[in-house]
Amino acid sequence: MTPTRLAWALLALVALAAWQVTVIPSSTLQTAVGATLVPALVVGALAALTVGYAASSLRDRQHDEACDPAKAPLPGAQRRMAWLLGGGLAFMLTVRPLGFVLAGTLCGFGVARAFDAPPDWRTLALCVGIALAFWGLFAVVLGVGLGPALAWPF
Amino acid sequence: MEAFDALMQGFAQALQPTTLLWGFIGCFVGTLVGVLPGIGPALTIALLLPLTYHVPATSMFVMFAGIYYGAAYGGSTTSILLNTPGESSAMVTALEGSKMARRGRAGPALATAAIGSFVAGTIGTLALTFVAPWVVEAALAFGPAEYFSLMVLALVAVSSVLGDSVLRGGIALGLGLLFGLVGIDLQSGQPRFTFGQAELLDGIEVTVAVVGLFAVGEALYLAWQGRESRSPEVMKVTGRLWLSASDWARSWKAWIRGALFGFPIGAMPAGGAELPTLLSYYTERKLSRHPEEFGHGAIEGVAGPEAANNASAAGVLMPLLTLGIPTSATAAIMLSAFEGYGIQTGPALFTQESGLVWTLIASLYVGNVILLILNLPLIGLWVRLLKIPPPWLYAGIIVISTAGVYGAGNSVFNVALLFAFGMLGFAMRRFGFPAAPLIVGLILAPMAEQSMRQALVISQGQWSTFATRPISGTLLTIAMILLVAPPLWRRWRGRAG
Repeated sequence: MTPTRLAWALLALVALAAWQVTVIPSSTLQTAVGATLVPALVVGALAALTVGYAASSLRDRQHDEACDPAKAPLPGAQRRMAWLLGGGLAFMLTVRPLGFVLAGTLCGFGVARAFDAPPDWRTLALCVGIALAFWGLFAVVLGVGLGPALAWPF
Repeated sequence: MEAFDALMQGFAQALQPTTLLWGFIGCFVGTLVGVLPGIGPALTIALLLPLTYHVPATSMFVMFAGIYYGAAYGGSTTSILLNTPGESSAMVTALEGSKMARRGRAGPALATAAIGSFVAGTIGTLALTFVAPWVVEAALAFGPAEYFSLMVLALVAVSSVLGDSVLRGGIALGLGLLFGLVGIDLQSGQPRFTFGQAELLDGIEVTVAVVGLFAVGEALYLAWQGRESRSPEVMKVTGRLWLSASDWARSWKAWIRGALFGFPIGAMPAGGAELPTLLSYYTERKLSRHPEEFGHGAIEGVAGPEAANNASAAGVLMPLLTLGIPTSATAAIMLSAFEGYGIQTGPALFTQESGLVWTLIASLYVGNVILLILNLPLIGLWVRLLKIPPPWLYAGIIVISTAGVYGAGNSVFNVALLFAFGMLGFAMRRFGFPAAPLIVGLILAPMAEQSMRQALVISQGQWSTFATRPISGTLLTIAMILLVAPPLWRRWRGRAG
């Protein structure tokens, strides 16, 4: 990812948003400002700013911490990020069928691996502890509905 | 005098055991999140928003205020002992505080930060007590047009003054406004930016966006960098945990000057805490009888900026309580909490929910005392917390964040949105986009649109109403100047340099 690629991603988002403005249904109510005006103004302004950002990034005038030796990532950045996002994905896929504790454990394990924790039983046990502790805090103490601690899909 | 009576009633409520307990919990949690890197007051309050269904409003806001103040106190510990400011406002404290710790003076550095925070927090709360009623009185003259212009000013100020690029600040603001408009339009009932997803009809939950940007985004950023894998080196707290006569003499004026910088700047839209802490630091360096110590551990360089930081926290509460305008990410989340309780912020808050407001203000005084008591004796506990290995710390932060978001509505869609905002937060951090404009834009977008529509209904569709009404026109002019001045100033400085 570079500032230029980010600018392309932002332009794609703006294009999606512009398309969404065009599909806002027209209201039968007679009002000074309809449902479309403000979204159109915001998307227009965002488009103009994004074009400015794209132009500036093409001239290498935009900031990227990857180019700063003090802040640039150490080798393995993609792998670490994949572990963290994988943990989140595992949570989403398993929280309904397996319950919060197992899903939270998988999520915690992914995050711990993203910070170079060893892939061993100790890491897994600590993640079970973290998930159990937060399930207890939220579901039992604070009464927030997290579903069952453990569920069986079959 | 009216304010004084109301404040006394507030104290009567704030000193009730239950309210006191919530205040204590808030101060403790606030200091905890201030001490721990990667988790701040905005994120903590956002995570606690689901509790608003279970806890009375007064208790909740007393706790939130404790968290807010506590985080400002706690940030100094990380800066001094770890040389890693938890918040950008604590950056200046790290400059001198960590040097003091290296010279074996961590105790006095922590003490001047804690006592200075107490002194400045109290001065800031006093100012809030007596200035807020004036602002409320002035704000009673505001109609929808003035509110719209005020919101425009807040949005422009947050995006153009904060950060180092108006372009990136503007894009962050634009994204925030865009996300704020997602959902059913309250006036016409038409769905906007929902992509046909039923989960988006109620709009994007503020909690999801804030937790995603701050917790997941920060964890992704640190994982990407890969420099946080080992426990940080925490400096030992050596020396007396108190101030010598010479330290007192060098600190007290710095505390007061810091408070005088912090409160008014914190109360301005986009004033924040960074500017007053920097101003305080440079003022102390200029006025010090020991300028040679600056850069090597000067106690005034900790005392002044820490005081400014805490006084600005009280300042930020003023536009929030009196005008309903958030000027920081944390204030924006608190505004969202007010909405969760169905409470209208702004001048009406002081008349319709006067008990709540004055209890909240009284609890700030009480909170300052609690924090002074908590901070120094518990320093050993805070130091131990700083030694938590990053894999467990961030695993804990992400699991608690996911639990908070999932628990709010048992929605896997919201968890997916949480990680999507996390990726956005990572990109923003990496490419230098400020997060505050996005949060403030997300929350103010529907409110600003509503005010604009009301103003146009009143003026029978005349757009000139925003320019011709004196207060509204003035606010828009200031917004325009703020938008244009920073890039012109940078260009001029670039040419001069």
